[in-house]
Amino acid sequence: MPCRQLIAPPSFVFWKASDLKHTVFALAAAVSLCANVARADMVDEILDDQILPAMQALAESGQDLADVAKTICRPGASPLRDAYAQAFDDWIRVSHLRFGPTETDNRAFALAFWPDSRGKTPKTLATHLREADPALLTPQRFAQSSIAGRGFYALEFMYFDQDFTSAKPHEYRCALTAAMARDIATNATAIHQEWQDSYANQMRTASGRYQNKTEVKQELYKSLNTGLQMLADMRLGRPLGSFDKPRPKRAEAWRSGRSQHHIVLALQALQPLAIALADGDQDLTVQLEAAFQKPILRAQRLEDPRLKGVADPAKRFRIEALQQEVNDLRALIESDLGPSLGVLAGFNSLDGD
Amino acid sequence: MTSRRGFLAGLLAAGLAPAPSWADLGGPAFLAAARSPAGRYLLAGLSETGAIRFTCPLPGRGHAAAAHPTRPEAVAFARRPGRFADVIDCRDGTPLARLEPPQGVHFYGHGLFSADGTRLFTTENDYESGGGMIGVWQVSQGYRRIGSFKSGGIGPHDMLLRQTPGSVQLAVANGGIETHPDSGRAKLNLPEMRPNLSLLSLEGQVLDVMELDRDLHLNSIRHLALSAQGVLGFAMQWQGDLGDDVPLLGLYQPGSAPQLLGEDDPRTRNLRGYGGSVAFDPEGQTLAVTSPRGGVVQVMEVGTGHILHEHALPDVCGLATAKSGLIASTGLGLIAGLADAEAKPLHHHDLAWDNHLVRLR
Repeated sequence: MPCRQLIAPPSFVFWKASDLKHTVFALAAAVSLCANVARADMVDEILDDQILPAMQALAESGQDLADVAKTICRPGASPLRDAYAQAFDDWIRVSHLRFGPTETDNRAFALAFWPDSRGKTPKTLATHLREADPALLTPQRFAQSSIAGRGFYALEFMYFDQDFTSAKPHEYRCALTAAMARDIATNATAIHQEWQDSYANQMRTASGRYQNKTEVKQELYKSLNTGLQMLADMRLGRPLGSFDKPRPKRAEAWRSGRSQHHIVLALQALQPLAIALADGDQDLTVQLEAAFQKPILRAQRLEDPRLKGVADPAKRFRIEALQQEVNDLRALIESDLGPSLGVLAGFNSLDGD
Repeated sequence: MTSRRGFLAGLLAAGLAPAPSWADLGGPAFLAAARSPAGRYLLAGLSETGAIRFTCPLPGRGHAAAAHPTRPEAVAFARRPGRFADVIDCRDGTPLARLEPPQGVHFYGHGLFSADGTRLFTTENDYESGGGMIGVWQVSQGYRRIGSFKSGGIGPHDMLLRQTPGSVQLAVANGGIETHPDSGRAKLNLPEMRPNLSLLSLEGQVLDVMELDRDLHLNSIRHLALSAQGVLGFAMQWQGDLGDDVPLLGLYQPGSAPQLLGEDDPRTRNLRGYGGSVAFDPEGQTLAVTSPRGGVVQVMEVGTGHILHEHALPDVCGLATAKSGLIASTGLGLIAGLADAEAKPLHHHDLAWDNHLVRLR
């Protein structure tokens, strides 16, 4: 990569040997060249430093969860809880990357069916337990079963909801949770595999689904917006409801006390994506870092794992302030980052009629 | 000897001059409004495959257009709350007439001509009473308003002409949302809203009203399509909480119960609660919906209600039936042909295509 070679120490040593004027000139040249080269490599950087490692982590922790769930059934057992927590964390870190491999065969929905406004997940799980059909538990049959009964949010019911943690028949419950964990591993692996085998290359070379590099960048930009929108409107907006009608039971993964944690994880995953998309623009990078830091710190300090505070007037304002900071971040990204990537505010998507 | 001018004058006097027609403009198959890179608004005629046949300037951003069935005239409606609509000679953009609804009434952005081109119908809001109206205009008298009747609900938006043996009806999507120009686009009646799909005679008699179940009363019925078999397709916009799991597309054959499409498929979430345009394929086997918010087009099977295909197209909104399959337009300038699982780019114009693609009869 020419950019890295230019700013590598030997180059500096060489140029420092000459007079100061030359040094300044050379540095300026290096910086401007770098900016050009960095632009060309932005997609590689996002793929190699962010997406591919994160997808690999999910595939590995998903497999680990499947292995543990095969032998341990007791929902409170710490190895099981740890494995579940790790895999769920890894999913949340990629949950904004909703294009390509995650959408093949509805894999992302099979991993994460949320929000569940009609309560389909508990209904589906109750049906599974009532019918106790052994045939359902084969990988093929389970992969064909209702998406509402699969993935991390369904498993959360099985591990953390009292109606399910000790549901009978005991044997079937154990076998069902093992099948659910295995299904998660299968989907996580399939997503990672497709990224590795073909999709990363499509993005690098702007081929297949993409006509040109701009479309690739726009896809990544859209995923950044998807993540922030999910955060503001779903993870925060759904439990906030309205002041008169807060909806704490709509908080994401409140049964396992992960609601607050997911907000922090999502922001921490979106920040490097936004910075990479800023592509070396120093002013914008500084602005983005500050605009992410505010909600990250606030989210970390909430001390409200289940976001129960939405229903407590003394605490609610802090969650509202967090939502406002996320919306400020969205506004900054739309006004300053979007145009640099050739993305104008949606002519139709923002109009509406 | 007869001069050319004299010859033409004679023809005109005898009423023999060929009447202007859409053929003068290359026989466009679709009309669409757009914004140019310079920020100007225009109306374009597109060929069957999305090539631009003509453009003519518009005074401001429009919503949808209505095309006269024979003459190259289009009515471009202003966006809500629409105080006017301009009748434009598409050959050169000459404004032929400006339609203004009576005091206390504004347009809702859609309208259509009767099949013989003698009358224009417009969806309207009588905003003091909050009732939906259909305005009727006499084309031959310079688009004189000759009457109006109730739309059968609140907030009529899209409307189309449905012809069955022995009868012609107006199908009206009464979105159910009450607005008042004093409060912009604010929605005034969400808790009580009751959208419907009404069938009216051309004289305003209510022939049929379709309402969905009470638990979907927040699903605003806004855009319509008609299949070769006379089935109505409707696209909705969810006014409830974001993230609620609801169908946004349905079918209605008067006399039968409505059928919702894509139910229980999680991909309906990719529409983000917002159906932008709706169209059937030429055979009426599938119904498709665009969502600019989700950047997708979903194609659903009429027989089973299943989602057959999903096409990712950023800022897509316009959608119409093409000779084979469907045609879609985006705010990024793309015109794409949709056939089976493929979304094929047909043209990339340096224009932002606006909400709707209107098929010329």
